Amino acid sequence: MKRFLLYATLIVGSVITVFPYILVVLTAFKSQEQLHTTAPWLPGVPPTTDNLTKLLGGEFPQYILNTALMTAALTVGQLVFTTFAAYAFARLRFRGREVLFWLFVATMMVPVAVTVIPLFLIMKELDLINTWGGLLVPYLLGSPYGIFLMRQFFRGLPAGLEEAARIDGAGPMTILVRVLLPLCKPALGTLAIITVISSWNSFMWPLIITSGDETKVITVALAALKVGIGVDYTAIMSGGLIALVPTVVIFIFFQRYIVRSVVLTGLK
Amino acid sequence: MTVGTAPPPVRTPVRPAAKRRRPGRWYPYLFIGPSLFGVVAFLLLPVVIVFVLSLFDWELLSDPTFVGLDNYRKLAADGSVWSSLGTTIVYVLLAIPLQTVLALLLALMLNQRVKGVKFFRALFVIPWMATPMVLGLVWSWIFDPKDGAINQLLDVFGITGPAWLSESSLALPAVALVSVWQHTGYNMLFFLAGLQGIPQELYDAAACDGATPVQRFFRVTLPLLNPTMFFVTVTNMIGAFQAFDTIYSMTAGGPSESTTVINFKIFHLAFREFDFGYAATVSIVLFLIILLVTSVQIRFFSKRTTYDMS
Repeated sequence: MKRFLLYATLIVGSVITVFPYILVVLTAFKSQEQLHTTAPWLPGVPPTTDNLTKLLGGEFPQYILNTALMTAALTVGQLVFTTFAAYAFARLRFRGREVLFWLFVATMMVPVAVTVIPLFLIMKELDLINTWGGLLVPYLLGSPYGIFLMRQFFRGLPAGLEEAARIDGAGPMTILVRVLLPLCKPALGTLAIITVISSWNSFMWPLIITSGDETKVITVALAALKVGIGVDYTAIMSGGLIALVPTVVIFIFFQRYIVRSVVLTGLK
Repeated sequence: MTVGTAPPPVRTPVRPAAKRRRPGRWYPYLFIGPSLFGVVAFLLLPVVIVFVLSLFDWELLSDPTFVGLDNYRKLAADGSVWSSLGTTIVYVLLAIPLQTVLALLLALMLNQRVKGVKFFRALFVIPWMATPMVLGLVWSWIFDPKDGAINQLLDVFGITGPAWLSESSLALPAVALVSVWQHTGYNMLFFLAGLQGIPQELYDAAACDGATPVQRFFRVTLPLLNPTMFFVTVTNMIGAFQAFDTIYSMTAGGPSESTTVINFKIFHLAFREFDFGYAATVSIVLFLIILLVTSVQIRFFSKRTTYDMS
């Protein structure tokens, strides 16, 4: 009886978890009329791809491409700059290392909400409003969180690793790329996933800094669909479906990296 | 802090040779250079700018004028900001306890010998990755007064559901519920990891001493989960105090400002009313609250934040 209750609860939880996703799929393939005549949890008969075709026939492919480009740029930037900084903080000795590291950690406490206004003004001063530069630059050079994560990982590697390479005459760059990085794949994978997801999902900064179609991302385009009278949920949900697909795909293939992120944050 | 650093240099005759082979000392700075620039230019400088800006009146089109503490005086008397702060606190109090307790319960369930643990664990984490903007839109649809899933379901039982997002008493709980839906599973991961870190011997010892399951939970499990609890509540609260995307898409702060949380208020002041100086002043309030929350929680959960970070 107890086990029955346990499984029943878990299954109810699973249904609640999955339901909004199912709803996105069901609604995306319904016509305007079916939206009002069928129950929301039932599929429209016959299903229609009109919403998706209409959306993909317009500006939406451009927005998808923009979002993908932004995600790729931010992820590459994060991985490269974070790795170098984290490596220096974890495995190299230099003056001011501790002070600088605590400076990085302290900035983790600065909420995004507080930086948005001044960042906008800085970008305005640099004439980067509504440009790719404005969209990317503030978040391209690696985040303190990422550096903290990678530093933890670098510190966990055995201390003797560099010694052997150094004796063979390898420089710090060679040691990092040839010796340490191959061992860092799990941590890099985790960091990459977290960055891909947060970039793909980002909304506030793109909303503020971009206005034209050349730099518009999916989240901003979707938000605009709900504005005005007569909200068309079939169109919105087909856009939502497109936005959610990459997150679900990443989840299916790289699930273990996400679970590992929990380990890497320092908690067992 | 000392793990990973080499032992202090010892002056021995070997040292000159080693020194000759070592490249210059500049490269560590080269390695941290770009990130350091990023942190200074895009995190520290903005904090300085926010404080300076709070002393100015600036509506972007005209030149900024120095107004001293005028913005702070305006803030002290501005009921709409304080009520948005109240709204934020209610939002946090609706979402955080629920998404923490539910996560803990889920973790306790999955920590037993359950078939398909991996499946359930994975499934419950999916919402965490979902695009918040899309979530806001999906849940708007679920809460739709006429054709939405909730009211259609209530209709089956002959109940006429309310217009969830258009009633000022219901909109905020509805928005908070989306936060719970999104974060419970991810929090569960942390609790599950924490539970698995508790040695079985402690439970055996407690059982030997005749502790009931309830006593074991409150005397063994909960105290040992303190670090996890700390991490989860702090990160969740910092996130919840800055809620924006779902509110923007579900209610846009309405109806009659009942879901205008502080972050939305700041956004509105700056990018809709172009009152940058005053918006900066309000954002300092948010900054201080987050600092306060973090430090209070550090004190409450003692200084230990993780199991072993050496």
